[in-house]
Amino acid sequence: MLTATNRQRLFPYLLILPSIVLLFALIIYPTIFVISNSFYFWNLQTSPVPQQFIGWQNYAMVFRITPFVAALRNTVLIAVIGTFVQFWLGMGIALLLTQQLRGMNVVRALLIMPVTIAPVVTGFLFRYMYYREGGLLTWLLLAVGIPVPDRGLLGVEGLSLASVLLADIWQWTPFFAVILYAGLLSISNEIVEAARVDGARGVTLFRLILFPLVWRTAVIVILIRFMQLFNMFDLVLVLTRGGPGTSSRTLAYNLYQEGLLNYNIGIAAAMTLMIVLLVSLVLNLFIRYGLKDWEW
Amino acid sequence: MKLTWYTKLLIYGALLLILLFFIGPIAWFLALALRPQSSIFEMPPEFLFRPQLKAFVYTFVNPGVNLPQLRNSLIIGISATLLNLPIAIPAAYALSRYRIRAKKALMLWYLSLLMAPPVVYLIPYFILMTRLHLRGTYFSMVLILQTLTVPFSIWLLKSFIDEVPLEVEEAAQIDGANWYTQLVRVTLPLTLPGIIVTSMFAFVFSWNNVVFPLVLSRQETTTLPLGTLNYFATAGITWNYIAATSVAAMLPPMLIFLALERYVVRGLTFGAVKG
Repeated sequence: MLTATNRQRLFPYLLILPSIVLLFALIIYPTIFVISNSFYFWNLQTSPVPQQFIGWQNYAMVFRITPFVAALRNTVLIAVIGTFVQFWLGMGIALLLTQQLRGMNVVRALLIMPVTIAPVVTGFLFRYMYYREGGLLTWLLLAVGIPVPDRGLLGVEGLSLASVLLADIWQWTPFFAVILYAGLLSISNEIVEAARVDGARGVTLFRLILFPLVWRTAVIVILIRFMQLFNMFDLVLVLTRGGPGTSSRTLAYNLYQEGLLNYNIGIAAAMTLMIVLLVSLVLNLFIRYGLKDWEW
Repeated sequence: MKLTWYTKLLIYGALLLILLFFIGPIAWFLALALRPQSSIFEMPPEFLFRPQLKAFVYTFVNPGVNLPQLRNSLIIGISATLLNLPIAIPAAYALSRYRIRAKKALMLWYLSLLMAPPVVYLIPYFILMTRLHLRGTYFSMVLILQTLTVPFSIWLLKSFIDEVPLEVEEAAQIDGANWYTQLVRVTLPLTLPGIIVTSMFAFVFSWNNVVFPLVLSRQETTTLPLGTLNYFATAGITWNYIAATSVAAMLPPMLIFLALERYVVRGLTFGAVKG
């Protein structure tokens, strides 16, 4: 640490101050906005300003007129299953990459490409592949004898959420693969060799040595990805707009629909607070249990 | 451990399938941009066709519907990056170099902003920017993007500054250099690579962001990734144009990631994993 003389003691804080002021300024308005408007009836189509104080009614309306529970269910499903699948697929690929063969660097550089794409574009990639006519995935499924519904994979209630999730899995499995690979590489060879001498092979080696040592890295990627999945919006916007029905609606899309398509600002404000509360809860659990022995 | 030739073959085979799965859809979309319109909905899909550049010409040359969007994306991405640097660099420096009260809480606050759902900002800012007559301006989008770029850059930059040995600065301090000389003459040059890497990732994040322009842009200021959505709204989806626009939107982030290969892991984890 650099030392600061008495006169300079405030200096480091002055360096941080602009970032705090700017970020605080950027979030204070939305915060006040959603808190105050969550108690008002306000439809933007009928009035440019809040219309009537209605107490807690907006909070009840979130459940009564928007499919909040269904959206919550979809969001939790996507976040939990998505993180789980991407983690283990990514881990598998990472383990393959650690077999130091020629050309691995090229593989790794190519593998990361899906991650660089804007999620909206990923949505289009998959929307085209899901088409009933001309869709590559539809054709592949039919070719191996798996029936595809006439309305396509996105047009059926039971499959729409899974189809959205598949696009996300495609995009972000390489994220896990490349970062877990870096984590695995940082494990010292001596530890691995020592374990081998003691007879640890295959699954045992992975379970007792590699996995615990790579866990610190894993926590970070799981945290980032779980939160991003929890906030999923772009893919839903392009692929299904939450449909059919409410089968693929996520919390973020539900909020967008109520606020910016139906213009129910009061209800959307109440919903925003509920979502922020949920997100902070999840994030705090991660920080408390996942990052507890982190150095700052 | 020596691998036998058939294990090697098996690994290469598996990797080939994996690459096919992850690169295939991208190649397929490039093909969509190049294929004649008549073959878009062919079943079975046509793998062989005479490629044509019509869609690229329409979107970027004549009439070049999406060319202004390319310019907008560059303006917004570069401005958001440039605006975030003078705020993030000093903060990252202080957090890396000095004992600061509540450092952990502060870092977690930045992190929580990064992890917050961007949609929650949409409605308040949609209304605020409308009232201020700023909706549709580059400024409105660049400003809101700072909720992402500033915390991101602080995290990533801190990890780079952490690696610059302290001795150099201590020596400068003993030599009587003031903080300004220390920062500008000693620390900044040493962290320049980190600053460049951070800027490029911040640019990619801004470039790929669609949520903010979705509600804050107007037709003249909309961005390239969002330009794809516009084709969607018009009657009859013109997939050639969507694909051509998408390919152009994909290219800059891809090139940046290829150029920053060594730093990809670090960038994607905000500096938490060194890679």
